[in-house]
Amino acid sequence: MNYLKKKFYEYYLKAEIEPPRRIERREFAFLFFNEDMMKRHISFKNKDWLLRYLKANVPAHVYYSSAYYGEPSANTMKEKKWMGADLIFDLDADHLPMAKKMTYEESLESVKEELKKLVSFLIDDFGFNEKDLSIYFSGGRGYHCHVHDKRVLDLGSQERREIVDYVTGRGIDYNHIVVERSIYGYGITRTIEISPSSLGWRGRIARAIISFLEEIKNMERDDAIEKLMGFEGIGKKVASDIYDGLDDNRMALIKEGKIDQMASIKRLLKPLMKELAVKLHSSTDEPVTADIKRLIRLPGSLHGKTGFRVTKVGIDALEDFNPLEDAIVFGDEMVSIKVIKPFKVKLKGEEFILKEGVTKVPEYVAVFAIARKFANIF
Amino acid sequence: MEFDLFKIARYPFMEEAKKWVKNEKIEIHEVLNDPIYERARMRAVERVKQAMKYGIIKDTPLLNEIDCMMEIFSYPLARLIVASVESEYLIRRYALAEAKKAYENLKKEDSSFIQKIAMEFGMEVKDGVIHFSDYLKYAPTWDMKWKLINRVMEKGYVKLSNEEIARLIQEAIRSKIQNELFYMFAPPEINKIFGELIANLKNKLVAKEIKRAEGISEKDYPPCIKNLILAIKSGMNVPHVGRFTLVTFLNAIGASTEDILKIFSNSPDFNEEKTRYQIEHITGKISGTVYAVPKCATIRTWGLCYPDELCKRVNHPLFYYRLRRRKNELSKEKVL
Repeated sequence: MNYLKKKFYEYYLKAEIEPPRRIERREFAFLFFNEDMMKRHISFKNKDWLLRYLKANVPAHVYYSSAYYGEPSANTMKEKKWMGADLIFDLDADHLPMAKKMTYEESLESVKEELKKLVSFLIDDFGFNEKDLSIYFSGGRGYHCHVHDKRVLDLGSQERREIVDYVTGRGIDYNHIVVERSIYGYGITRTIEISPSSLGWRGRIARAIISFLEEIKNMERDDAIEKLMGFEGIGKKVASDIYDGLDDNRMALIKEGKIDQMASIKRLLKPLMKELAVKLHSSTDEPVTADIKRLIRLPGSLHGKTGFRVTKVGIDALEDFNPLEDAIVFGDEMVSIKVIKPFKVKLKGEEFILKEGVTKVPEYVAVFAIARKFANIF
Repeated sequence: MEFDLFKIARYPFMEEAKKWVKNEKIEIHEVLNDPIYERARMRAVERVKQAMKYGIIKDTPLLNEIDCMMEIFSYPLARLIVASVESEYLIRRYALAEAKKAYENLKKEDSSFIQKIAMEFGMEVKDGVIHFSDYLKYAPTWDMKWKLINRVMEKGYVKLSNEEIARLIQEAIRSKIQNELFYMFAPPEINKIFGELIANLKNKLVAKEIKRAEGISEKDYPPCIKNLILAIKSGMNVPHVGRFTLVTFLNAIGASTEDILKIFSNSPDFNEEKTRYQIEHITGKISGTVYAVPKCATIRTWGLCYPDELCKRVNHPLFYYRLRRRKNELSKEKVL
């Protein structure tokens, strides 16, 4: 038995695994060490059978279906008989444009920021109960958010797509978000009013504009102009106009929601809105979350390419959660490995910089390095 | 139980309508044969004809209870006629026409009545708000202003006006009637009584198809277009760009919205109203902009290009079609 499989076996012998709800209605799928083919269409009557299977077969990756089926072990979709599915959001560093330049640790941190935005949408706008949301570190490069509310179970793909569009800001129509009003008195002027206490996207945008302009107002002129010019479509002239126009009077009106005190402020709308949206997908439009029959990693199982555990994170504990510590299940007994590809990683708060050749590292580093194919056991 | 006949007559799909009919203890063969119900039968014919011709059914004046009674009976009769024609197209068109008629009336009703009807379709409406899961089931979200993101939503509840709730109900009615009719089997008696109308409708529907086939030469389509049609007809899910290419192409060679709809009606997730809207958008009937047929290079980058020999000589699918057509027409003359 190879080292990784042996370690996974030791883990599964004692693992506490919280089975997915309605386990008997789920399809399970597995990938094994040194095998390319995924084994699919497996179902378990209960948690005990699942645990027995994990111990007997020690898979490298464990997945289960977000969908519930009449016959989860049937071979075709038609025979499976779809009954409903959880709503699952997959936030992955691969979807973030800037993540390529970051370290593993930093990219996980920026995915966490996206996750916080998502949770705020799900609770404040969609009204989901905290107890119906479960968040897991994926063991790889991101987080999964599962929604179990009974009202999403039977939503079809098109309906799920709408939820995704809502949180990602896709298809937003500024004319519906911003209300224009004619003010009579000194002739007719048009003004955009969105109250910061408005609900949904409207309020979010209003609050974002207000806090952004406050930040700008408190900055030195040069810094403020530089920051403003960072936005697409804003040049030096417009940036100066915005900064110079922000006197106390105007700021007070803006805080009431009368945001277009200057025409140029409108140009901030789109870019600020983009910051509010959850970055859920890469540029290509993969309908992952909208998919009503996808496979998702089993919480409590190990990720075969990192050795990390798919770990539950409480919504309140999100801030303090450190995946590169809290998802580590292996010990610190020293092990000899032969590094074949130099790498750097920060695990359990300790930085490991490993060069080619034989070295001794704690077991949890060895598992990570071997799973990443950076090293072999020596 | 007290029945409000005027309401039932306006909304004959209501649960209450069923109860009323049951209460009256009138058998279907009486309504089908007894001269006293002649008016109900005539109105049934009118319902179907108007649906076919205008896509909406017009209201008829209801002055007394007899008017109401005839109106109520005309509804199940009209459904039986539609079922007898056995045309998917007619079923879709009729279901939409009934739903539109209901919408026109519903939007003038007060909140409590709208709320009641919404309940019948499983939508819980309270104080002008509705849960987003119900909203998503029936809202025409392909239309920008109905997208969830462009709505005011708080804690899962979407705020809607009465008229907007009525619009959701319209969709619920449409899908209910359509589903019922797909599985409905009309007794042979219907064919005897409404034989003339049914034969007429069948002829019209066939004629529509023949007219469609004339003037357009499918065999001259470039392979990319043929492939798209094949994929849609076999129920495969074709990506948006593929549908777009197909619609622009068919429009350019003179196919009507109906012709194009017919092709898409084979699609597994076909929604007539939505597809019609999208087609009319692309073909400029709504938007005013007629979208151009994408050129070969674009189609290639979308991965929809399956070139044959002739493709090497053209850079646009329309050129291919014209070349092919001219060639075929010339060869036809030679034979003559």
